This record gives sequence, structure tokens and C-alpha cells, in this order.
Amino acid sequence: MANHLLEIRDLTVAYGAVQALWGVSLHVEEGSIVSLVGANGAGKSTLLKTIAGMIRPKKGEVLFAGKKLSGLRPEDVVDAGISLVPEGRRLFSRLTVKENLELGAYIHRARSSSKDSLERAYDLFPILKKRSGQIAGSLSGGEQQMLAIARSMMSKPSILMLDEPSLGLSPLVVKVMFELIESLNRAGVTILLVEQNVYQALKVSRHAYVMKTGQIAMEGSGEELIADPDVQNAYLGTLE
Amino acid sequence: MLEYLTAGLLMQLFINGILFGTMYGLAAIGLSLIFGTMRIIFLAQGAVIVLMAYACYWLFTLLHVDPYVSTVIIAPAALLLGGGLYQALFRRAQKMEDKNVSLLIAVGLMFLLENFMAVVWTPNPRSISTSYTSSSLAVGGLDISFTRLMGFVMAILSTAVVTLFLKKTLVGKAVRAASEDIEAARLVGINPHWVNTMAFAIGIGLSGIAGIAISTTYPFDPYFGFVFSLKAMIALALGGLGSVSGALLGGIILGLLESWAAFFVSGGWADAMGYAVFLLVLLFKPEGLFVRSIKKA
Amino acid sequence: MRNARSIGIALLVALLLVFVPFVSDSEKSYLVFFLFLTFCHIVLAQGWNLVAGYTGQISLGTHAFFALGAYTTAMIWRADLFGTGHYYFDPITMVLSGLVPVVFAVAIGIPLLGKLRGDYFALGTLGFGEILKVAFVKGGQFTGGPIGIVLPSTFYTSLRPHYWAALCLALLATAVVYFMSRSRLGLALVAIREDETAAASSGIHVLKYKVLAFGISAFLVGICGSIYAYYLFQVSPEGYLILSWTLYPVLMCVIGGSGTVVGPIVGSLVMTAVFSAANIYFPTVHPIFSGVIIILVMLFMPNGIVRLMERRVQGE
Repeated sequence: MANHLLEIRDLTVAYGAVQALWGVSLHVEEGSIVSLVGANGAGKSTLLKTIAGMIRPKKGEVLFAGKKLSGLRPEDVVDAGISLVPEGRRLFSRLTVKENLELGAYIHRARSSSKDSLERAYDLFPILKKRSGQIAGSLSGGEQQMLAIARSMMSKPSILMLDEPSLGLSPLVVKVMFELIESLNRAGVTILLVEQNVYQALKVSRHAYVMKTGQIAMEGSGEELIADPDVQNAYLGTLE
Repeated sequence: MLEYLTAGLLMQLFINGILFGTMYGLAAIGLSLIFGTMRIIFLAQGAVIVLMAYACYWLFTLLHVDPYVSTVIIAPAALLLGGGLYQALFRRAQKMEDKNVSLLIAVGLMFLLENFMAVVWTPNPRSISTSYTSSSLAVGGLDISFTRLMGFVMAILSTAVVTLFLKKTLVGKAVRAASEDIEAARLVGINPHWVNTMAFAIGIGLSGIAGIAISTTYPFDPYFGFVFSLKAMIALALGGLGSVSGALLGGIILGLLESWAAFFVSGGWADAMGYAVFLLVLLFKPEGLFVRSIKKA
Repeated sequence: MRNARSIGIALLVALLLVFVPFVSDSEKSYLVFFLFLTFCHIVLAQGWNLVAGYTGQISLGTHAFFALGAYTTAMIWRADLFGTGHYYFDPITMVLSGLVPVVFAVAIGIPLLGKLRGDYFALGTLGFGEILKVAFVKGGQFTGGPIGIVLPSTFYTSLRPHYWAALCLALLATAVVYFMSRSRLGLALVAIREDETAAASSGIHVLKYKVLAFGISAFLVGICGSIYAYYLFQVSPEGYLILSWTLYPVLMCVIGGSGTVVGPIVGSLVMTAVFSAANIYFPTVHPIFSGVIIILVMLFMPNGIVRLMERRVQGE
């Protein structure tokens, strides 16, 4: 029986008077890639942000390795071992590539191995090594996404959460990025992925959830969902 | 008036403008750091500078500590005071979405300090006179006041130290990162209160340096602070937020502007020109005169 | 209906207040003066409330409009503009004293509100105040320079006209805020305060509404300046263009609760009382008080008294 590294129970989140999540429950097995797909406004980003500690839920729990995560501040969630690559990447565009990476290892437990983590990041993303002295804002879209992922990896997370990583990227770059996600996963990182690019996301996922208006509408393995006619009609259109 | 304008006089005005401008620059750097992290304009900056000037004055008058030597006492004390003030006054307010609460606390602090100093130390202007306060150095036919030169040197040194801190230390980089995007900073594990405390402490520390420089160059009184705050804000607007060197440059430009304007136009109008330039910059180039906009990643 | 009852109570209180100067000697009693000052503070606080509490634009220029109103009154009187010699509490003069600040408000409001956000806007209004101060000090004959303009105090008979004028203005200011808060204008302003971009994409002409609030506020504050000029019989940069005339109203509005109708009233009443008491009992240290109080209130009651009371009532 696989470990549920991350467990969400009955999560309810509201922005003021507007409810965004209605009692969402899901789990992420250790070592897997899990995707959250669905239309805009379905609540996927909200869910990730709540896990990351940026939003306080009204009800429900987030359990990480059995311990309660809800109510922790974002910086403590990172310390616990969950790192979010936010939507829009949110790099420190005025700082250099190297500085962005160094800051990724800001938390205490990652600081001592910061140099090693940096080397590993450069191995994984050679383009970042080439541009290490450049200002982050001057990188191309794909390079920035790489940097954002690399920065999050610097904190040596157990779970990496990615919010719409393919947004604004060309298809070729997207393909490379999904290969990257898979190789990170093979290296032992559990991944929770929110994606608009439903096909690619489902293809790499062991398990996936479809969200609609703040609730889980469907769940299943990646293969199951790709084959499902409803999913195909709603999200897969005439792609590939 | 123009017949008095010789090259020498022009240079003199130029030098004076630069020397005094660095004072504004120091205050502006503090404001920039505080704004970057706490997202408020710290209106009490000038009042704190005057407080430091008084500290320097009293150390000299009562304990006979030379003003420049007192830097060793005042600078660390100011840093600690800054950290303490943040924790005591602003920490809770900074957690709120509405930054106006912090703004009003800064306003309250300004009021408190100004009136406190006026009541306890009287509104009479003070200044420090030592053996060297009225001496000047003759450099290439120009008279450069010694104390102003020292003030300039101190300002440049402190700016260099702060810049090194921001560029070379991890905490310094965290402050820069938080100034740009506090949420992203939290997502890499940076504690916002910690960077706020650092930035605020440095802001107050720089006020200490500025206070020492002021106390040796000009007579000051408790109400001197407010106008100084405004000038610092003008310098900040000129230099643009998020840039330490920009803030310093902004201060120098303002100093030059005032120096020349005061010569050609009477004092009051020179001030008004400063404010007018301020409004113009705010309206047409709010990111500052030097900053090139970088696309947000 | 709660609203009708509240209005009823308010009118009753107002009526009672009208009679105070008949019961209490306006020249000897402190009560009349205290209430007069409170009414003035209410007007200024409501003015700030309109721009900052409801529209979310922190303005630090109340004192500028206050002074503009006062100076307008003084200049009209001194110049005998209408040739009648009757300027003491002359309605036309007072209305003009409200309109002149509006002209300035619109003139600087359009660029400042159109281009500046948050703290920048606050700075801009501060800068405007400072420029105005220099203009007044250097205005020579026109503005009376650093000494200002002195008005013939022989016209003074009693504090009563000031009291009633201030009471009326305070009622007007509160009524303006009350009706506005329930109108479409009010909704638009709050929408702007909460999220400007969302408001704009909902079709709200953001700049127009911001300037409108700014202008209405300037009008009320300007007339208050006029009334105060009739009280001091002198206008000067030292007396009017000082930051206290902005900070006290801000403090009172925030303590009472900005963004509420009653907040500025509660705040003005409480703080005028506190400061008056401090002035009487600790005259030397009283100015320090205001700073300490702002800080304490912001630390412990940042939402203001009114909201604190509301929450108690709702049993949270």
C-alpha cells in the first residue's frame, strides 16, 4: 500500500464572500505525479495556493506525511518540504539567475547544501549555468520557467507543486518541460501538477483529478481519464 | 545677479549641492528600503534623523564625545533601535492587507518624536561647535567646509556598506527579493518580518549617520525633520524605488537643484521648485529618472 | 426599519444640539466652544472619510483645502468684493470659500488621482500642501505673506453663529456621506477602493468618481475653513497650513472607523474631548499625546471604534 504523502480532506476556501473550493478531498501518493486539470476558474490554483499556505481555508485539512499543514505560513510550508512554482513563475526579475537559485535554498535545512544543489541545478539545466550572471528578467519564457522550477528544487522539497507551467510557452518548450518533470519525478520528487494542457498532463500522471467549479468532478489514473469520453469531449478536443 | 556668477562660484554651488545632497540621499536610501519591504512611506524618517542629531549633540555636550567618534555608538544603537521599533510598532500592522495602518503608525511616530523633542529639549536650534566645525579645506581655489566633506564621506561609506550587504549577503538578497515580490519571497521560505526588520533597521541606521552629519553642519531643531522627510521623498522619487544608488543620486540631484535655485531665487521659492519637480516626476516618471523598466518574469 | 430609526435619533440629537447655546452661555461655557471645535473636526474627518475611507485614496492634503477656504473668505472680505461690507457669515462668501478649493481639487486631482497610486498619491497631496504654503508665504500683498490677513474682529458678537454654522455643516457633511454610501456613487467608490482594475472593467469611470469624491470633500473642508476664519479673524500659513489640520481629522476618522458614516463623528467627539482635556491638564506635554494615541489606536483598534462595537453586537 503506497503512502499518501499529501492528503487533502474536505477543503473549503472562500475569497471573502465568494466560495472557491467546496469540500475538496484528494490524495497524492509518494513518488507519483498527480495532475489537477479543469477549466479556468475551477479552483485548481486556489487549491495549490491553499496547500502552500498563501490562503487560509475555512474548513478542512491538509495533511503532509500525516502532519497537519493547514494554518502554516508559506515560509513554514516550504520548510516542511512542499515547494510551489507559482502561476506566472514569479521570479525575482531584477536579480540574477544565480541569485534566484541561491534564494531558492534560503531555508535553513537547504542552506548548507546550497552549493551542491546549485551544481545539480546547473547539471539539470545547463542553459541556466550559461546565463547564471544574467538578470532573470532578460531570459526567454521557457528559460524563465526552467529557472522557476530549478529555484523551487533548491529547497530540496519532497513535493513539488507546479501551477500552469506550460502557460505562454511554445509547444516544443512544453514538450521539453514535461520531459523534465518526468525526470525530476524519476529522481524521487513527488509532483502535483495543475495544467491547462490536459493531454500532456494526463499522459505523465499516475493519478489525476478533474476539477469543475471548486469541486472534484472526476478522478482516475492518467490513462483512464485520457480514454474517458467525457474528458475527451470537454478537454481534449482535436488535440493530437 | 548673473554678474556675480563666476566659474568659481558655480563650482562652489556645485560642490555644496553635492555635499548636502548626499544627506538627502542617505535618508532616501532608508526610505527606499523601508518602502520596498513594508510598502509604506516612512514619514517619520526626518524626525528620526533629528533624534539622532540630538543624540550626537548630547553625547558631545554632556560626555564630550567627538561627533565623528560617536558614530561607533550611534550607528549600532540606531540599528538596534530600528529593529526594536519594527517589532514593537509595525509587526502586527504589517500582517494586515491594509497598509494604511502602518502608514498611520509612522505618522503617529513622527508626531510623537517631534513633539517629544520639542517638549524635552525645547524648540531652540542646536548645533555642535568643535575645533574643526568652522574650518574648511582649500581645494583648487575652492572652499570646502570640513564638516560637509566629512558628511559626504560618511554618506558614501555607509552607502557602500549597505550596497555590499544587499548584493553580497544572502539576507541582503532576500531583502531585494522581498522588495520586488513578497509573495514569491515567502514561497522560497523568506520570512517577511525578518526582511522587514532588516530593512527598517538599516533605514534607522542610515538615519543615525545622517543625523551625525546634520548635527555638525547645520543648526537643527525638532521641527527640522518634517521638511527633511519631504526632501528625502523628493530624492526618492527622483531616484526611483528599488535602487540604492538611484536614491543617493536622487538626493544629490536635489541638493544641486536646491543649491543653484537658492542662489538665483529666494529660499522659499527654491523649496517650492523642489516640490514642483517632485510632483512632475511623480506624474511623468514615477519609476524614477534612472530606472529602466524590466519586464516582470 | 433600522435606518429610519437611526435617522430619527440623529435628527433628535441634532435638534437638542441646536438648543445648547441657549442653555449654556456661549461666551463663558467651555461646552459651546468644545462642541464648535468638535463639529469642525467632524466636517474635516468626514471629508477625509469620503476620499480615504470610502474611495481608498489616502489624501494628506486636507489642510491645504482648509486653508484655501479660509483664505478665500479673508480675501473676499478684505477686498470688499461685493461692495456691500457684509461678509461676516455671508452665505455667498462661504459658498465661494467652498468652491475655490474644489477648483484646486479638480485641477490637481485629475493628474494625481489619474496617475498615482496609494502612497504616491499621499505624497503628491503633501507636496501640493507644501507648494501652497510657499505660495502663501511669498504671496506678498495678495496673500498677506507670512503674517497673513487680519479681519475686523469688531464683527464678533458671540460664538453662537459659529456654533450653528459648524453644526449645520457637520450635519451636511454627515448627510452627504450617508446618502452617498447608499447610492450608486457610493457603491462605485467602494468598488474602486476594493479593486480598481475590477471596478474599471465593470465599466466604472474610475477617475471621474475619484475626482468627484475629492472635489466634494474639498468643498466641505473649504467651508469649514471659512467658518474657522470667522472664528480666528485671521488667516495665516502658520495657523492653517499645518499638518495638524490633516492629521487630526485622519486620526479622528480612523479611530472612529473610516468607511463608516458614524465613525468620524464618534472619533471626533472622543478625540476632541481627549485633546481638550490634555490641553487643560497637561498643557506642556499634550502635543506628544496625539502621537502616542495614534500609535496605540493603530496597534490595538485599527478598525476603529464603530466596527469594534458592531462586532460586539454581532456577538463574534
